[in-house]
Amino acid sequence: MAARVLQQCVRSLARPSLGLFPVNLALRAAVAPAVTVHRPFSFAADSRRMRWLGQSRISSVELLCRQYGDLPPLTLETIKDRVMYVLKLYDKINPEKIQATSHFMKDLGLDSLDQVEIIMAMEDEFGFEIPDAEAEKLMTPEEIVQYIADKKDVYE
Amino acid sequence: MSSRLPPAALSLKQFLQRQKVLAVYRNMFRTIRQVPDEADRKYLKDWAREEFKRNKNATNQDVIRMMIKQASNHLEELQKSLALAKS
Repeated sequence: MAARVLQQCVRSLARPSLGLFPVNLALRAAVAPAVTVHRPFSFAADSRRMRWLGQSRISSVELLCRQYGDLPPLTLETIKDRVMYVLKLYDKINPEKIQATSHFMKDLGLDSLDQVEIIMAMEDEFGFEIPDAEAEKLMTPEEIVQYIADKKDVYE
Repeated sequence: MSSRLPPAALSLKQFLQRQKVLAVYRNMFRTIRQVPDEADRKYLKDWAREEFKRNKNATNQDVIRMMIKQASNHLEELQKSLALAKS
């Protein structure tokens, strides 16, 4: 029984239009009923399956391509937009006055506790931790964008 | 503990204390992040912010040291409660 199925599969492999995927499916599907069901039934099922294989011309390239999940790639533009968005949401900052080069302490009048909060908000937004020593040096949105681009290997 | 740099720079001890305060503040926020409930998180963040801002202008080193110790104790308590709640 299995030998006959294998024969049919090898013949179908020789046909150029069929990819590997439907052959595997047929193999797997064929092995299961071969074990449980007795001869006449599985014979009919096999011939049906062979007809199906012959009719469908699935493009093998699409099926061989795997799909992984991932976030959209970071660019300097997107990082800058996200940083400015988070800063505008912060209630101690006036959204109109903030620019890329405004210094937190000198221009916006925030203190170091606020700066810690801002950097923590950035950590939340981008999903990675910023160590203390480097966090306290980031005093403008521009510097934050540069730092994140550094850490995430974003070049342009 | 004014965080805008005064005309006279901080002495080494004051500078180190300032760093400690900021470190405790940061660790507090990092721990609060792990609290499961959103409303609790907001309440704890506001509470921490209030406490730190209220004592922002203390200048006596011993008083500051005491306050740092108090904050660290609160932080430890919070961490222990979180660990208990998770198990």
